[in-house]
Amino acid sequence: MELAIGIILGCCALGAGLAMIAGIGPGIGEGNAVAKACEAIGRQPESKGAVTSTMLFGCVIAETTGLYALVIAILLIFVAPGRLVDLLVSTMAGL
Amino acid sequence: MQQKIDPIVRKETAYIAVWTLIFSRIMQAVFLIIDRWDYTVLLGNLLGGIATIINFFLLGITVQRAVLKEEKEAKQAMKISNTLRTFLLFIIALIGVLLPCFNTWTTLIPLFFSRFAVMLRPLWEKRRDATEKGEA
Repeated sequence: MELAIGIILGCCALGAGLAMIAGIGPGIGEGNAVAKACEAIGRQPESKGAVTSTMLFGCVIAETTGLYALVIAILLIFVAPGRLVDLLVSTMAGL
Repeated sequence: MQQKIDPIVRKETAYIAVWTLIFSRIMQAVFLIIDRWDYTVLLGNLLGGIATIINFFLLGITVQRAVLKEEKEAKQAMKISNTLRTFLLFIIALIGVLLPCFNTWTTLIPLFFSRFAVMLRPLWEKRRDATEKGEA
C-alpha cells in the first residue's frame, strides 16, 4: 500500500516537472517577437501603435501555452495525489 | 524616470477586462444552472479574473518599455517579465487551490479568459469594420 502511494506521489511530481518544461517556450517566443517588433518600429516608427497592439495579443496567445502547463502542474501537485490516493484506498477496501 | 502608460495598453487592457467580466458572468451562470454555486465560486472567480487583468496589464507595460530598447535588451526584458508573471500566476493559483474559501476551478479557468478574448478579436473587428462601412 505504502509503495503504491509512493509511486502515485512520485509520478505526480514527475508529471508536474515534465509539464513545466512547456514553460520555457513562451519566454523565448515572446522575447523573439518583441525583438522583431523593435526592428519593425525602428524601420517604421509611425506604425508603433499597430505593432504594439498586434504584438500584445500575440504575446497573450504565446503565454497561454505556459499557463496550460502551470495549471496542469498545480493540479498534479495539489489535487491529483489526494484524489488518486483516495481512489486507491477505496479500491483496496473493496477487495 | 516614471513613464506614462501608453493609451494602446490602456485600451487593450480595458478590452480584456470587459471580456473577462462577460466570461465571468457566463461562468457564474453555468455554476448556478448546474446548482453548484456558492460564495467560493464567486471569490475564486474574482481572484482569477483580477489576476488575468493584472497579468495582461503588466505584459502591456513590459511590451511598452521593451519596444523602446535595443533588440537584445528587449528580449531579456521579456524573458524576465515572463518568468515573474508566471510566478505571480503560480502564487495566485496556489492560493486558489489551497485555501478552502476559493473554488479551485473558478480560480483557474479565468486565467484563460484573456486568450478567449483574443480569439474573439477578429470577429469583433470584422463586425466593427462592417458597421463602419455601413455608415459610410
